[in-house]
Amino acid sequence: MNAPLIWILTPFLSGFLILFFLHRRFSPLIGGAISMALALTALIFPIDTALLLGSISIKISSSVQFFGRSFSLNTADGPLIAIIYGLAALWFFGTEASGSANRFVSLGLMIVALLTASIAVEPFLFAALLLVMAAMLVIPLLVPLYQKPGKGAIRFLIYQTIAMPFILFSGWMLAGVEASPGDLGSTIQAGTILGLGFAFLLGIFPLYNWIPMLMEEASPYVTGFLLWALPTFTAIFALGFLDRYTWLRTSPQLSYTIQFAGVIMVVSGGLFASQQKHIGRIMGYAAIVETGLFVLALGLGSLEVVNITFLLLIPRGLELAVWALALSIIKRKAYTLRFNEVQGLARSYPIAVGALILAHLSMTGFPLLAGFPPRLALWQELARQSLATAFWVFVGLLGLLIAALRTMAVFVMAKENKSWEWNESWVQAAMLGVGVIGLFILGMFPQVLQPFIINLPALFEHLGQ
Amino acid sequence: MLILISCLLLFVTALALIVLQVLQPNARYAWLVAVGGASLALVSVFTWFTQIPFNLTLPAWQPHTVFTIPILFHADRLALPFSLSITALTLTVLLTAITRSAITNSFTWAGTLALGGIGLLAVTADNPLTLLLVWSALDLTELVTQLRSVNGPANNEKVVIAFSSRAIGSGLLLWANILSTARGNIFDFQSIAPDSGLFLIAAAGLRLGVLPLHLPYSSESTLRRGFGTSLRLVSAVASLVLLAHIPAGSLTSTLTPFLTGLAVVAALYGGWMWLRAPDELTGRPHWVISLAALSIISALSGNPLGVVAWGCALVLIGGALFLAAAQLVWVDYALLVGVWSLSSLPFSLTASAWLGNLGFFMPFVVVAQALLMAGFARQALRSAGRIALESQPGWANKIYPAGIILLVFFQLLLGLMGWDGALQVGAWLQALITSLIAFGLIWATPRLRVLNPVRAHWVNATTSGLGTVYGGFWVIYRLLGRISNAITVTLEGEGGVMWTLLILILFVSFLTQGTP
Repeated sequence: MNAPLIWILTPFLSGFLILFFLHRRFSPLIGGAISMALALTALIFPIDTALLLGSISIKISSSVQFFGRSFSLNTADGPLIAIIYGLAALWFFGTEASGSANRFVSLGLMIVALLTASIAVEPFLFAALLLVMAAMLVIPLLVPLYQKPGKGAIRFLIYQTIAMPFILFSGWMLAGVEASPGDLGSTIQAGTILGLGFAFLLGIFPLYNWIPMLMEEASPYVTGFLLWALPTFTAIFALGFLDRYTWLRTSPQLSYTIQFAGVIMVVSGGLFASQQKHIGRIMGYAAIVETGLFVLALGLGSLEVVNITFLLLIPRGLELAVWALALSIIKRKAYTLRFNEVQGLARSYPIAVGALILAHLSMTGFPLLAGFPPRLALWQELARQSLATAFWVFVGLLGLLIAALRTMAVFVMAKENKSWEWNESWVQAAMLGVGVIGLFILGMFPQVLQPFIINLPALFEHLGQ
Repeated sequence: MLILISCLLLFVTALALIVLQVLQPNARYAWLVAVGGASLALVSVFTWFTQIPFNLTLPAWQPHTVFTIPILFHADRLALPFSLSITALTLTVLLTAITRSAITNSFTWAGTLALGGIGLLAVTADNPLTLLLVWSALDLTELVTQLRSVNGPANNEKVVIAFSSRAIGSGLLLWANILSTARGNIFDFQSIAPDSGLFLIAAAGLRLGVLPLHLPYSSESTLRRGFGTSLRLVSAVASLVLLAHIPAGSLTSTLTPFLTGLAVVAALYGGWMWLRAPDELTGRPHWVISLAALSIISALSGNPLGVVAWGCALVLIGGALFLAAAQLVWVDYALLVGVWSLSSLPFSLTASAWLGNLGFFMPFVVVAQALLMAGFARQALRSAGRIALESQPGWANKIYPAGIILLVFFQLLLGLMGWDGALQVGAWLQALITSLIAFGLIWATPRLRVLNPVRAHWVNATTSGLGTVYGGFWVIYRLLGRISNAITVTLEGEGGVMWTLLILILFVSFLTQGTP
């Protein structure tokens, strides 16, 4: 058996088969089960290590050649794959409850497979190609058949496509910089082009305007999946860059630039979120703030970069899944998702509204919820380096908190004598309930993630070692 | 371990009540289960006397390199009086429940027990991170409970605003943590950075509605006497406990007199409104504000022990009064022990309240305290609105007064042996003057119209307390709104891509200019 075949080819083919041969009713269950099985396999069977099951010896070899390129997943990748497919399973199981499009599970599986390939491919610069391919597969999800794509979808595609040549070109330049590190001009040029590539990929300010636009025009569940998957893998890709190139890792100017970009994202995202009157756009801005926190973590320049980045990555998947599912349920009742239409819905959809508010509060870093421990860790690390940066992050998250409180106020302001009802289905209630319990568990006991993240620093030879 | 036992007794009993309510909704022994659990919890807290100080450390957050502060609970002579007060209040709420119509509602009792458990965790929290987590649990509990019990858009909005002020208070505690980390300190109560102290005061003050003065609580809730009393008082004491942990050395700032002044204004306002409140439940928010303000003044005057005294007074004296729903003359007179407990006279519960230096503010504090005492005496002797116990079963005639007397007994007990700072002569002259003024006010109340109850007052619950300050914030908020709207429209409009690329180029050139 071969790791890339199991965790890249199998889900890709499964997605393909589900798309063409499976009834849509069964796709969430089958897709979720496949994803969960892949996560459990990654957790139980170490890659490249022989396992004796009775008289049978099983060994999953780590790499495979494909058109002259190598795809390699090592022992240290196991927990990361388990996290990715575990979170993907959560998204797929929730599809039925969200009422999302038929193709979500199939294309979602293919997207996750491509993104997994992006962390396995060697030379690693080819990851940029795989990321763009994944971005292209998202388009059929965002734009329903026979419909004109909205402005948000087009911008998303433009920015993701522009990112690829920047990344590839910077890779070529970086090789030159490594050869002659004293050449300051080349270093600045390579750094700038690389920065631009990641700015387009991650949606750094002001390149993130497609996110709120998409939240307004596309399905919140699909957009939520996109906002989870792409930045997660892009952040891992960025960590790979930092790990490979010493001058990137050690340059104080680059660290400053990355942190500056992160602060701008957090502050602007928080400020814009606090002014919105559309609960979908608020989620978009929250995702922007979260990405800003990733960027800040990448710019820390301390030994804790990997730990803090992964502490942020895992709750993000859960928070966005819960939030997007709740939004999808609410959207069936209040299609526009504007404040005037969702007012008082807390009494008609208490579980969906409660889950949405908790997911939102979690992203603001409210204690007891999943987002708090990673933000605390990041804050403390930032405070040791620059109190001003920590302050601006505080301001950005305060903006997000204001958005949460405004949303809450609108939801609960029901008319006089409006009785409490329960309009969510059992499946929806169960999915949201599981998600909310997860938010509390990760918030109170973040150490449950430790088995997953303890070996992740080994993925990066130089970072955090 | 003992902390865990006490909390588990409360939480497990609450869980048992919920299970009972679901499986056997008409079970007659549910109340006995509730009272049994609360009694055992109270006894278990008494056993702390034999073991203190001791710790309860929860499994550490990992990775250890990132999370250096443990989730730690610590029982000492400071936490003990708070813990006894909270468990006694919980038991009294349940004992006096027999006089309330919701006698068969196990969910309310379960909520009361769970609140008691969370309260115990709050007062034993040994570092700000632990306290922050417990505060959040309390805030979420209060939010859900209030939203379930109020009606109409305006009242629902008030609940969210109250939650907001507490959340921002928690945010200030978090900021104090960041500040302390930036100064290279570990953020625990023992090594608070000097410039973090005032943020802690502001955090507690904001949560309590004192700094700045506002009423964080809506009085429209239907859960007024039983669970409502528990919620109000436990929530307040959970915020007050922070003040007891702030070392006096970290409060030396030029801002200290200013904050003391604000707290004095809140104490005077709270005391005045409490004196003139038409009934004890309407006046309860003012009672909380007034005592919280006196606690803050104690802390700012360099006497954290005074906070323990005022905190216990808030729960024990207030609890006895707010839970006294039935008409029994001797119980009404027993409640007057509360006036003694509030007086700061030697060996009373609050005798250690004014060991710090009040300076210029002393006369104002004396007046505020006197207003509080006079208001308490008036409310304790006011029998209107209380039900007659004759309509209750015979055993209720004995259980109900036992509950009230329990809290009165604890006032006396804690004044004598509650904590290391108890059994004090204290500032006896100041206490004497305060008592004389209080008696003067009690004498004058029926004679002077200005001291008589009013219904309207100039600080409404949550919404209008700081009209000017909130108005200022609102102007800034709308200005930011206009700016952000202009940016959004530009970037998302037809020429958005071009504008985006232009800003990106400016951004890159700005950053590369800064690169050597």
